[in-house]
Amino acid sequence: MPSRRSLLINSTALAATMVSRISWAHGQTRTHELNWSEGPPNILDPHVIFDGPMVFYMLNTYDTLYRYEGNPPKIVPWLASSYTASPDGLTWTFKLRQGAKFQDGSEIVAEDVVYSFQRLVALNRGPAAVFKPILDSVSVGEDRYTVQFKLKVPYAPFLSTVPIVAIVNPRVIAPNVKNDDWGAAWLSANSAGSGPYRLDPATYRPMEAIDFHRFKEHFAGWGHNANPVELVRNRYILETTTRVSALMRGDIDAIDHYLPVDQLDRIGRTAGLRVTNDETMRVFVITMHNGRAPFDNVHYRRALSYAFNYKGFIDGILKKGAVRNPGPIPQNLWGSPADLKGYEFNLEKAKAELEKARAAGAPVDREIEIHTQNQQAQTTQAAQVFQSDLRKIGIKLKVVPNLWPPLAAATTKPETSPDMWLHWVSAYFVDPENWIGQMYDSAFHGTWKGSAWYKNAEVDGLLREARRELDAERRKGLYEKASRIVVDEAADIWIYNTIQMRGLSKRIQGFAFSPIGGGSEFRLLSLT
Amino acid sequence: MTRFLLRRLLLALPALLGLLVLTFVLLRVVPSDPSTALAGENATPEQIAAIRKAYGFDQPLWRQFVVYVGQVLTGDFGNSIFTEQPVLGDITRRLPATVELVLAALLFATGVGIPLGVLAAVYYNSSFDHAVRIVTVGGLAIAPFWFAIILQLVFAMDLDWLPLRGRIPVGMPPPPTVTGLYLIDSLVAGRFDLLTTAARHMLLPAFTLSLGSLASITRFTRAGMLETLQKDFVAYEKAAGYPERRVIWVYVLRNSLVATTTQIGLLFGALIAGAVAVETIYDWPGIGSYAVQAILTSDYKAILAVTLVVGVIYAAVNIAVDIVHALLDPRVAEQL
Repeated sequence: MPSRRSLLINSTALAATMVSRISWAHGQTRTHELNWSEGPPNILDPHVIFDGPMVFYMLNTYDTLYRYEGNPPKIVPWLASSYTASPDGLTWTFKLRQGAKFQDGSEIVAEDVVYSFQRLVALNRGPAAVFKPILDSVSVGEDRYTVQFKLKVPYAPFLSTVPIVAIVNPRVIAPNVKNDDWGAAWLSANSAGSGPYRLDPATYRPMEAIDFHRFKEHFAGWGHNANPVELVRNRYILETTTRVSALMRGDIDAIDHYLPVDQLDRIGRTAGLRVTNDETMRVFVITMHNGRAPFDNVHYRRALSYAFNYKGFIDGILKKGAVRNPGPIPQNLWGSPADLKGYEFNLEKAKAELEKARAAGAPVDREIEIHTQNQQAQTTQAAQVFQSDLRKIGIKLKVVPNLWPPLAAATTKPETSPDMWLHWVSAYFVDPENWIGQMYDSAFHGTWKGSAWYKNAEVDGLLREARRELDAERRKGLYEKASRIVVDEAADIWIYNTIQMRGLSKRIQGFAFSPIGGGSEFRLLSLT
Repeated sequence: MTRFLLRRLLLALPALLGLLVLTFVLLRVVPSDPSTALAGENATPEQIAAIRKAYGFDQPLWRQFVVYVGQVLTGDFGNSIFTEQPVLGDITRRLPATVELVLAALLFATGVGIPLGVLAAVYYNSSFDHAVRIVTVGGLAIAPFWFAIILQLVFAMDLDWLPLRGRIPVGMPPPPTVTGLYLIDSLVAGRFDLLTTAARHMLLPAFTLSLGSLASITRFTRAGMLETLQKDFVAYEKAAGYPERRVIWVYVLRNSLVATTTQIGLLFGALIAGAVAVETIYDWPGIGSYAVQAILTSDYKAILAVTLVVGVIYAAVNIAVDIVHALLDPRVAEQL
C-alpha cells in the first residue's frame, strides 16, 4: 500500500506532467483542413431563414441560379447560364447550365428549380417575403433546362433577388417529408444541395459545430484552386475574447467579422495573423419612430440628426473602421446620390431646429428612449455618445438595453415600437430596394426594416415606380430622388457603412471579399 | 426512511410546478413574440400572423401553459424556437458536460476547502487563519467571468501551459459515449491520452467554477469546527489521551460537517446554474452556454427546459443531502 507521502509525490508529478506539456499541438498545420469560426445559421433549411449566417452556409453548400461575386458585387450566371425578361417585366426565363449535379449525383434540371421556388413560397417563412407578393407561377419552359417565372406585377429587382433562393434536391427531400412539411423538419439539420462543400450531418450540433467536406464534382470545377481545402470545421465560439484568443493560438484559422476595435488590435499585433479591410454594404442606422410625438415633427428629427457626432464616433470609437454614410442606401451602391451630404454634427443647428419644433408645439421636453442590442457593443457605445451630446441641447435620452428577438417583435406594431433603436441593414440582395425600398415605402410597415413608420405619399410613389421600372438609368434617378427626400425629412439617422475587418491566419490564401457572404467562400481558399 | 423520501418527493413537485409557472409567465409577459423569431428576419406581418396561428401563440396564455405542461409530463420539451431541434436532445447531449465540470469543481472545492477550514479553525486567529480568510473572501468576491479571462490570458495565452477552450481540441473525436463524462468514458475506453487531454481542458474551467464554492466550504467548515471544538466531549477525549490528530480529523470533523454537507448540496445546484458564465468564457458545451444562447435568442422553450432541469437537479440534490445528514447524524434519522 503506498504511503501518503508517495501518493502526494505521485499526484504532484502527474499534475506537473499535465501542466508542463508546453508543446501542445494546438496550432493545426494540416493544409487540407481548415478550422473556421463563424456564427452558423440557426436552422439549416435555406427556405426557412435568410440572414447573414445563412448566406455563409448557402454559399458553401447550395447553388443558386445567379449569384453575387466581387466587390462591388456583380451578379453573375451560376446554375443558370443566361436569362431574358419580357418587355413588360412580367415574364422571366432562365436557361440552366447542362450537366450540373446535386451532391447525390443527380442532374439539376428545371423541375428542381420549380420545386425549390414552390417550396419556398409554400413554407412562407422569411425568405418568401420578397416572392410571395409578386410571384404568379414558376414552370418548366420549352425544355428541361428552361425555367419560366410569371410575375403578378413588374418587379425590376427580380434578378437581384434570385440569389436568395437555394436550389434544393427534391429527390433527397421527398423521403423525409412528414405531415406535408416539405421536409422542413429534416432539412433543418441536413442538406440537399449541390454546392462546393457538403454538410456532414453527423457532426452537426446547432449553433456549435458543423463539418463540411469538399464536393469534388461541383459544376464550377476546381480549376481555379490548385490546392483546395478538403475538410472545413466550423466551430462557433460565443464569447468574443475567447474566439479571438483561439485565433491567436492557432486553434482556429479564421473568425467572423463582428469584432470590437480592441479585439482587432489584439489580432493585428499577432504574428501570423492579418485583419482584412473591405467596405461592405451594411448601413448602421438609428431608426426613429416617425409616427410618435415628438418624432412626428421634422424639425425634431433634424435636431437629432445634427446632434449625433458622426466623425467622433467613426474616428474615435471605431478607429476609422467605417465610412460615413449620409443616407439609407450604401454610399457605394447606385441609387445613392453622389453629392448627398446628409447631416453633420452641429449642436448649434440642432438647437435651432429644436426651437422650431418647440414653436410648432412638439413635446420636445419629453424623455425619449433608445434601445440597444446587448450582444452588439457598438450599439451601446453609439447610444452613449448620443446621450452625452443630446444632454448638451437639453434632450434627456434613456438608454434601454435590449436583444434582437424582442426588438424585432416590438417593431411589428407602432404602439410597441421603441422611440429609437440601433441596428444595421445588411445586403440581403444588392439593389436599393433592399434598403430604401423596404425601409421607407409604407407598404413595409410592420416589418423591422419599416419600423420608422415613415409615411410620405411622394416617396411611396417614387419607390413603387422604381420597383416597376426596368430601365436602369430611370430607376437610379427615382431612388436618388427618394433618397434626397427622406434625408431632407430626416426620417432616420444614418451613421455609417461598415468596413468588414475579419481576423485571418496568414496560412489562408485566396480570400476574396464580397458584401454578400463577407468572403466566407471555402471553394476559393487554400492553406499553406 | 421510505416515508421520508416519499414526503420529500411530493413536496418537490409543487415547487417544480411553481418554478415552471413563474418562468413561463416571466418569459411570455415580456414583449417578445416567438412567432416573430420563427417567421424569420424579413417576414411580413402576414407571415408572422400565420406562424402565430399555426403554433398556437394566439391562444390565451393559460391554455398555452396547459398544453406545454401536458407535453412536459410526457417527456416532450418541444422543439427549440430558434434551431427547431428537439430541446430534450440538446439538453441530453449537453448536460453531461456540465455535470462533469460541476463535479470536478465541487470535488476540488471540497477536497481543498474542508482541510483548509479545519486548519483555519485549529490555528484560530493565527496568521494562517487570517490568510485563509483573505483568500476565501477574495474567492467569494471575484467575478468568475473576469477571473476566467485572466486565467485564460495567463495560462493559455502567455505561458501556453493549458488549453484555452472546449472539452477537447477541435477535430479530435471524443471517447465512445458511456456516461457522457469524458474523463470516465476515456478510462472505460482505455484511452489514457484522451483522459489527459480532457483533464487538461477541464483544469481552468473547473478551478474557476470552484472558487466561490471553495471559499464557502472553507468558511462553513471553519465555523463548524470552532463550534465543535468548544464541546465537552472534545475536552474529554483530549483528557483521555486520544491523539490530537485523531480527535481533530475524525471526531471533531465528523461532528462539524452537518452544515458543510448542507452547503455542498446547495452548492451543487448553484454551480449548475452558475456554470453559465464559466461555460460561456471557456466555450464549454454544457447547458450553461446553451442557456445563454437561449436567452440571447428568446428561445423560451429552451429556457423553460433548462430551468426545469436545473430545478429537478436542485430538488434531487436537496433530498440527497437530507439522506447524508441522516447518515452523518443518527439523531436526524430518528426524527424522520
